[in-house]
Amino acid sequence: MSLPQFKLLRPRSVEEAVAHLAEHKSNLRVLAGGTDLIPSMRQKLFEPEYVLDLRGIVAMRGINTGAEGGVKIGALTSLRAIERSDYLRQHYPVLTEAAATVASPVLRNMGTIGGNICLDTRCLWYNQSLTWRKGCGFCIKKDGDLCHVAPGGTKCWAAFSGDTPPALLCLQAEVEIASANGTRRIPLRDFYTGLGDTYRRLQSHELVTRVFLPASSADYRGVYRKLRVRGSIDYPLAGIAVVMKRSNGHVADARIGITAVNPAPLLVEGATALLAGKEMDDSLAEAAGDLAAKTAKPLTTSALTPEYRREMIRVFTKRAVLAAAN
Amino acid sequence: MSPDFSIIGKPTAMVDAAEKTTGAGKYTDDLSVPGMLIGKILHSPYPHARIDRIDSTRAEKLEGVVAVVIGKDAPNPYGILPVGHDEHALALDRVRYVGDNVACVVATSEAVAEKALELIDVEYEVLPAYFDPEESMKAQTDLIHDNKPYNLEKDYHHVFGDPDQGFVEADEVSEARFISNEVTHAAMEPHSTLASFELDPHTGKPGRLTVWSSTQVPYYLQHKLSLVLEMPMAQIRVIKPLVGGGFGGKSEVIPLEIIAAIAARKAQAPVKITYTREEVFWAHRGRPRTIIDLKTGVKKDGRITAVKARVVQDGGAYCSYGVVTILYSGALLGALYDIPNIQYDGYRVLTNKPACGAMRGHGTVNVRFAFESQLDELAAKIGMDSAEIRRRNLLQPPCITVNGLRVQSYGLPECIEKTVERSGWKQRKGKLPKGRGLGIACSHYVSGAANSIIRSDMPHSTVNIKIDRDGGVVVYTGASEIGQGSDTMTAQVAAETLGCTLSRVRVIAADTDLTPIDIGSYSSRVTFMAGNATLRAAAEVKKLIAAAAAKKMNCATDDLVFRDDAVVRKNGHAGTDHVGTAAVGRPAERSEAAASVSGHVEGQILRGSLQQKRKDQGPKDSLTFEEAVVAAIDFHGALTGTGSYAPPPEARGGKHKGAGVGPSPAYSYSAQVAEVSVDEETGEVTVHKVWAAHDCGRALNPVSVEGQIIGSVWMGMGQALTEEMVWKDGMLMNPGLLEYRSPSSIESPEVEPIIVESIDPEGPFGAKECSEGSLAATIPAIANAIYDAVGVHLHESPFTPERVLAAIRARKNSKALNLTEGVDPTAPTRFREHGGSLWFKGKGPERHPLDPARSQTPTGGAD
Repeated sequence: MSLPQFKLLRPRSVEEAVAHLAEHKSNLRVLAGGTDLIPSMRQKLFEPEYVLDLRGIVAMRGINTGAEGGVKIGALTSLRAIERSDYLRQHYPVLTEAAATVASPVLRNMGTIGGNICLDTRCLWYNQSLTWRKGCGFCIKKDGDLCHVAPGGTKCWAAFSGDTPPALLCLQAEVEIASANGTRRIPLRDFYTGLGDTYRRLQSHELVTRVFLPASSADYRGVYRKLRVRGSIDYPLAGIAVVMKRSNGHVADARIGITAVNPAPLLVEGATALLAGKEMDDSLAEAAGDLAAKTAKPLTTSALTPEYRREMIRVFTKRAVLAAAN
Repeated sequence: MSPDFSIIGKPTAMVDAAEKTTGAGKYTDDLSVPGMLIGKILHSPYPHARIDRIDSTRAEKLEGVVAVVIGKDAPNPYGILPVGHDEHALALDRVRYVGDNVACVVATSEAVAEKALELIDVEYEVLPAYFDPEESMKAQTDLIHDNKPYNLEKDYHHVFGDPDQGFVEADEVSEARFISNEVTHAAMEPHSTLASFELDPHTGKPGRLTVWSSTQVPYYLQHKLSLVLEMPMAQIRVIKPLVGGGFGGKSEVIPLEIIAAIAARKAQAPVKITYTREEVFWAHRGRPRTIIDLKTGVKKDGRITAVKARVVQDGGAYCSYGVVTILYSGALLGALYDIPNIQYDGYRVLTNKPACGAMRGHGTVNVRFAFESQLDELAAKIGMDSAEIRRRNLLQPPCITVNGLRVQSYGLPECIEKTVERSGWKQRKGKLPKGRGLGIACSHYVSGAANSIIRSDMPHSTVNIKIDRDGGVVVYTGASEIGQGSDTMTAQVAAETLGCTLSRVRVIAADTDLTPIDIGSYSSRVTFMAGNATLRAAAEVKKLIAAAAAKKMNCATDDLVFRDDAVVRKNGHAGTDHVGTAAVGRPAERSEAAASVSGHVEGQILRGSLQQKRKDQGPKDSLTFEEAVVAAIDFHGALTGTGSYAPPPEARGGKHKGAGVGPSPAYSYSAQVAEVSVDEETGEVTVHKVWAAHDCGRALNPVSVEGQIIGSVWMGMGQALTEEMVWKDGMLMNPGLLEYRSPSSIESPEVEPIIVESIDPEGPFGAKECSEGSLAATIPAIANAIYDAVGVHLHESPFTPERVLAAIRARKNSKALNLTEGVDPTAPTRFREHGGSLWFKGKGPERHPLDPARSQTPTGGAD
């Protein structure tokens, strides 16, 4: 499959990049690591006139601790760099653990945290070649008006399948979004729409430039558990992140995030209330698992049956909160 | 005592290792010739449809498009089997699976060709399609091939002995349905073909054709090209460059190979086509989804009394190797154990899906999974150790099995013994911690089919050898190196026979203009058959050299020993009688002689006179290899030899219908123990270690044999745990290596290969096959280990976590969860389709209203 023809733009600064975005808007796709964009372009999921290659923007790379506490991570920071950061491992372990499970070592060298946050939602009926999609009939997410996953519906159920966002949600991360009009900063949980097609709140002239981890989220214990068939390469079929703070043998605070089982990564609502102030034991862990499983809405967007993936959200959550507590 | 070899049996680096590891080696897609164009194929979007019209005018007008090829450009049907000529390179009037070949655009670049594909207008008349083989077998109308009633490609019904009486005599009988889902080869190199015509100097029209192709069977390709293009075979040259793995996926003629040639003829320019990974999945020819209804009876002492198997294979839209596959499935019930009574009913069924064909362990793998699993269940029923029940059913070779297979060398007892010993079976079986288990299983495979698929008396392999005065040995063989080590084996056999060093030997392989016919690299035939042909060719040359050398050394040819680059007299002086020891006797003057003979100053012409001088000095006790060669050329005029191999008549099987498939001159044997652990909450299976013993007759190159054993185990593990082609109404849901999950290095367990050498009386130096026989045992060994670990017998492969968990939960009576869409993996009844739905409310792609797929109630997400 050939790569569609496009013009490559290689800005050296964020200003230059957002100027390009303002000019070309919907005719353009942004390339950070390219690990998802390039195969998708070969499948003709995107045929932009321009590709904006951000990799020359040095200012968008790096992990920096601010004076006011917390940490700023440039959107172009590679997943490998995050995985290997001693600072992050010490203070935000859930993030390094999640980053370390993404795809394979080779892909983590290329893939970026910004790319993982912005990752296109995935579906077996969507991530296919043009020929395949033609044979099966185009769907809502691309060129069509129906959904093969939830027949009769008009909503797109493509699953968000990034590994780091559930961890970032648990860490109450914020993202910085730049455009020609300036920058804005929003909580990551407001970044996703919950829809499979228009899955993120990012205008076509905007760019995610940084991720902020607040000081208040530092030093939580963290666990990420990922369901996949192979121990490498695979996208998550279900993923669960847990952060937890303990005091006097009790859970002081905790959050649970899930991925790959909904069109957006989600914080499990009520998890903090369920866990905070309690002593961790099997039945509490079971209750947390049940709660997470209720939040999960897996459909036939990927391999393994939806029922199984929901069950794994339950089992993995139970195990993750136990692991985080012990 | 085993004979002492200087090259055979020594770990030897592959002769093509350097070019592969440095990247210097050329695979077909690396090739380019001046003026070369790119071909791209238009595939059918429908599983079953009539083509009413193809209009390519818009495509032809696109700048950069040179030609558009359609079925009419080469309408002759072909197929790998003489009984299965049901394919056309490009569809004539009917497409039979999503991905079937409709047209081919030839253009100056891939991008232009792809764009042009969108401009070809095809009018289809959609037909009802068949996806489930058991449904397909009921078809009365809209048959996939008009001459195949009930969409039945072929069925066979064999009865050997008296199965009914056998079951009466049994103390315990098990009967169950097993299902193996579809897997494919997933070779690293996608298929690629470059076709180029030479212009005829007289007519200016395309004349001789040269085709470079990633194939396991250059000779068959030459044959089918001749058939479709209506050209004499002598006008067609097929060259096989480096091949990046075949596993059966390149063991027949794949559409692109013919299409490239047709396209090159029409475009009057060289054309290269390389499949995308998705096209590789459509070309497929992998292992079919198989239903096995199996019944086995045993006595209390463990002896098998009877086996009854009904096998239904979901063969896809074309015959391919299907008739052979369904016969192997039955025939290879025999020749592993001593089974007195066998009933076999095999059905190869056509469905509207890519054609299945040959894949590593062709025909035997899925039935072996069922058989070895059921044997374990029976062992448990009679309270016998599962290794012991296998020992109780050994053959007593030499023998002919009840279904007419001749077994001579038989290393299975030693394979079982060694795996049991190395794995600590006796001490550890049943005593491992909860969730961890051991399982054993056996398998076997042919060392080449005793009957060629094209019935003839032609030798299956022929090898030529020529040696010139430089002492270089050139071996010409049609055998196809596909990564399995065929070239290295050829060089080893030639060098050992001639007593020269390996570095003297150059192998020219798989070029139909240069190399004599070899029917190809499939059914594990190359070492046995091409190896024997090489041995015979080398022996013939050796005879010539010996005659000259004996004359020179004034002794009988029987007194000569060829070894370590020298020809020495057995009873000669100066230590030359110690041949066979490590410090083999070499003539003292060898070094000076070699220096003067092979120095740059000395031309070849001088050598003759040098020899002449030596001759005058009187007879020698030894000659260097070069001296012997020069003497032989002087004596005979030329030094060439030819050897060929055809399996002996007594190995060619019985007389019943279908008896031609299954017989082999020799069978390899394997026994394996797998150690696994199972997570009882998630159903995830981890294979920790596999002990795999393989009887390969003699390991010509032990490191290569070990590699093949490890590869077989790994590939079997893929089928056992993760690999599965997932279908929804004829659409392949996972046509890529991201979603079709071959194991990664992380899942790869430690494999301990154990070589067992039974020294076959007819194999070259006693060798048999080592590339396929081990695969089939891995799947049931893992299944049986899962049973040992968590007490569930899975009857559906692969053992994905959802299936394993469903079985565990059912056994524990846990809260009911529909983890497997209603199919019980311990007692499956039907093939499962991917849960999403295409057919609802009249939407979705165009399908025939009577399409069975449309009548089903839509499933999918509630909500």
